[in-house]
Amino acid sequence: MKARYKNTILALGLLASGGLRLGWEASMTREMRADGLLAKPVKMSTRDKIGQTSAVVVLGGLRTLVATFCNLRAYNYFEQNRWSELAETYELIVDLAPNTIYYWDTGGYYLSYCAASYYHYDSTLPALRRREAWQSSIQRGRSFLERGAKLNPDDWIINASLGRILSDPNKILDFPAAAAAFKASADTGKALSYVRRNECLALARIPGREAEALEFARRLYSDPHNRVPVLCSVLLALECRADPSKNPMQLAISIFGNARSAHDQLSDYWVRVRERYPLDGVASALRNLEIILATPEKESAFKRPLQRADNPEDWFRKR
Amino acid sequence: MTAARTRKLPFLRVRRVSVIAGHAFTQLMRMKVFYFLGLFALIGIASNFFNAPQQSGPEALGDHGLDLLRLIKSWSIGLMTIFSVVIGIVSTALLLPKDVEDRTLYTILAKPVPRLDYLAGRLLGVLLLLFVSLLLMDLLMIIMLQFRMSIVLEVQASMAHARGWDAAAIESLRQDTLVQGPTWALQGAVAAVFLRAAIMAAIALLISTFSTSTLFTTVVSFLVFFIGYFQADARDFYLDGGQAGTSAFARNLALLISLVFPDFQLFNVIDAVIQGKTMELIQFVKLALAGLYYVVVYTIASWFFFSDKEF
Repeated sequence: MKARYKNTILALGLLASGGLRLGWEASMTREMRADGLLAKPVKMSTRDKIGQTSAVVVLGGLRTLVATFCNLRAYNYFEQNRWSELAETYELIVDLAPNTIYYWDTGGYYLSYCAASYYHYDSTLPALRRREAWQSSIQRGRSFLERGAKLNPDDWIINASLGRILSDPNKILDFPAAAAAFKASADTGKALSYVRRNECLALARIPGREAEALEFARRLYSDPHNRVPVLCSVLLALECRADPSKNPMQLAISIFGNARSAHDQLSDYWVRVRERYPLDGVASALRNLEIILATPEKESAFKRPLQRADNPEDWFRKR
Repeated sequence: MTAARTRKLPFLRVRRVSVIAGHAFTQLMRMKVFYFLGLFALIGIASNFFNAPQQSGPEALGDHGLDLLRLIKSWSIGLMTIFSVVIGIVSTALLLPKDVEDRTLYTILAKPVPRLDYLAGRLLGVLLLLFVSLLLMDLLMIIMLQFRMSIVLEVQASMAHARGWDAAAIESLRQDTLVQGPTWALQGAVAAVFLRAAIMAAIALLISTFSTSTLFTTVVSFLVFFIGYFQADARDFYLDGGQAGTSAFARNLALLISLVFPDFQLFNVIDAVIQGKTMELIQFVKLALAGLYYVVVYTIASWFFFSDKEF
């Protein structure tokens, strides 16, 4: 057979076999992307950021390997307090490995806690600029985690971390969003039991949703595993708010089991003013408990120093 | 020598093909290709100690151990991919020229051996080499992973007990860790690595039937390998009708790339598996069938070229 004919036949054969597979390749790709087995194609911006060599490696199906290297690079940025580069590197890392929860969790932590603290204490910047940098680091960490939660709806860790940031008195408080994040985390069915309790604690601090929080706290309290001091204290406050005619001390003894335990745990709860837990009936319960326990005045809960009541905004005003 | 005589012989006799495959395998073994396993073991073991300092700390209890396991998998599968593709391309590119140089090819084709059997045998020899190499690397990875996972499980259990976690929480953490260990899905990922290397070997075989040198075959095969990763982009571009303002030429070029080159992005499932996703058996079967289709098509194309080639 003449070479020209042969080449033509071969080319046509290859094209025909390509035509046969074109449809199923496309549907298989769609199916695997829907099942989370194939990641979306690497964005051009990502390819630019990781450089030509790594882009080739990424295209070669080794995204996780490149993400590992980028994570090491991010740690160097962390050590050198290069927060902007760190943020960009984590954006890149999660583009490469969007289903690795560790990267979302670590990136969110670095931005919301480490970078924010750094700017808080950065004496080289004027107060206004520190405040702005502090705020934007937290917001960046928050949106980073929100994106991670959206991409990994079955995971509990990202939402739990998000809830923790949103209910942290040293950050920018947003209890409704925190409650929603803790709920999403707990609803996966994989979360540790503290997440459901945190949902209740966040709910209790949302004005207007106390009744809902009370029902929730009662449900949680019915399981002895959930009877941690803060939940018991919140339950007491919510009960007293719902029905002010109740005797706070009697209620406290029934919730905590005995007067001594009620006094000790409510004393700790009383000083946590920065966390904005409801305090209805707590002072009355403590006062009456101290009478029946004959607590010396110097040991009184009311003599203990309260947590600083300022909020982060005040930090930047004072300096 | 003419091919007229061999064309009349029945194709693909198992015994004949397996003898040629065995010969190719022995020939490649003599080239000491297994030395790379030492390097694999070294890097694999080193990956155990390659921990970022951020991974430590009690707050990372849940994810700490898991990331260590992910790291080992990521290193191991990455190395398997690189080694298997390089071995697949280079050893296939070497075979035909070496047979010509040693005059083995004339001896074989002078006998009643159809050329398809010769090519299939040579390709199977390379695939056998790839299979054995990957099997050994897989075993090494499983041993490292199992060893590390048992330590991680032990540490996690003791830390969780110390923190008073309930049984359900401990079990949930254990399950999350087991998913990152040596699973069937991970074996599926290793098989995907094999399939990709097998396709590359078939492509290298096709190129070597008309190429004039080993270097040309190797370089062009690697180019095809990289283009294969853009095939899905080209296909999507064509099927989505291109972007506004794109020329018909660009669309036709995208179509041509989609039709000629294999879609290697399909085999990127390994990334999801490393991250702990499970690959269903049906998904693996589809992937294997896709791989088989490519290998068969490119082998037939090689035979078409090789069938009446004069030496």
